[in-house]
Amino acid sequence: MKGRLPWLLMALVLAVALAIGAQGHSGPRTEAQRVKHIASEIRCPTCRNQSAAESDAAAAKAVRDEITRRVRAGESDGEIVAFMVSRYGSDILLKPEGSGVATLVWALPVVAVVVALAGLAVAFRRWRARPGVSVSDEDRALVERELESSR
Amino acid sequence: MSDVDVDVAVSRSHRHTARWAAISLGVVLLLFIAVLATRKSAADKQAESPLLGKQAPSLTGTALDGSQVSLSSMHGKWVVVNFMASWCVPCQEEHPELVKFTQRHQGAGDAGVLGVIFDDTEPNVRHFFDREGGSWPVVSDPGGHTALDFGVRGPPESFLIDPNGFVVWKAIGQVNADGLEKLLSEGKARGG
Repeated sequence: MKGRLPWLLMALVLAVALAIGAQGHSGPRTEAQRVKHIASEIRCPTCRNQSAAESDAAAAKAVRDEITRRVRAGESDGEIVAFMVSRYGSDILLKPEGSGVATLVWALPVVAVVVALAGLAVAFRRWRARPGVSVSDEDRALVERELESSR
Repeated sequence: MSDVDVDVAVSRSHRHTARWAAISLGVVLLLFIAVLATRKSAADKQAESPLLGKQAPSLTGTALDGSQVSLSSMHGKWVVVNFMASWCVPCQEEHPELVKFTQRHQGAGDAGVLGVIFDDTEPNVRHFFDREGGSWPVVSDPGGHTALDFGVRGPPESFLIDPNGFVVWKAIGQVNADGLEKLLSEGKARGG
């Protein structure tokens, strides 16, 4: 039981971290928070890697204005993001979509972690299973002789 | 089994594992290379637009001469919607080509250009047209909403709209008169 305690602790930490991560935010409340949240997922059209929420460019302001207008019109976050994609294509999203080739971006790290964990488990098992070095009487006598001669 | 035999067996097992790990890594890398190699380049991708084949977004505005202009009022003819700015060098370079294109179609009246100012001021664009020529309507786009509707990222970008109001082509960067003529004849051949 004592040997398994660290593993149990690690599993507990992982479970708690996953639970917190999966829960995420409870969702923006105010209109401004919603606009900022949606704009943070949209790439500023005239910038390289800045979100429409962060950029001061005129195009980013146009995106924020459009989001605000659509939030006030009662559209959902998904509908607003879908509108942006319908104009600019999926490149306008800062986070890759979870479909098509872009799925690899999400799936590969998970696969890599699973493979790495499996590799570690196999390695640990092998190290533990490796037989210890057996010492024969002949070896002991040899060491004794060497020790005697060095005195 | 002696200790030496055990060591040899363990060493062989390690080599075996290493070989499989290397092969797996190699396969993953090859898959990555295959995915990247078969994807279109960034340059090709930029000419794509979700609007292609769809009805063009509504475009209305006040032209530089104060008149009201709309894309819908130009239905029945081919229209090049050109997003431009006077400060943009490729726009300056493509301008004579657009002048040539409009002059060629002035008589037939089958095609025209509708300019949209992108991130520039009306006085600057008016001065630019006074200097460089060009008689097509140019509308201002305060707030950049028209640019957003067309998914424009920066000037110059052009969209070819067919007589039924559908977006048939998009260009990022400067266009030329002969290229536009080619697209037009291809479109007409398809029955546009």
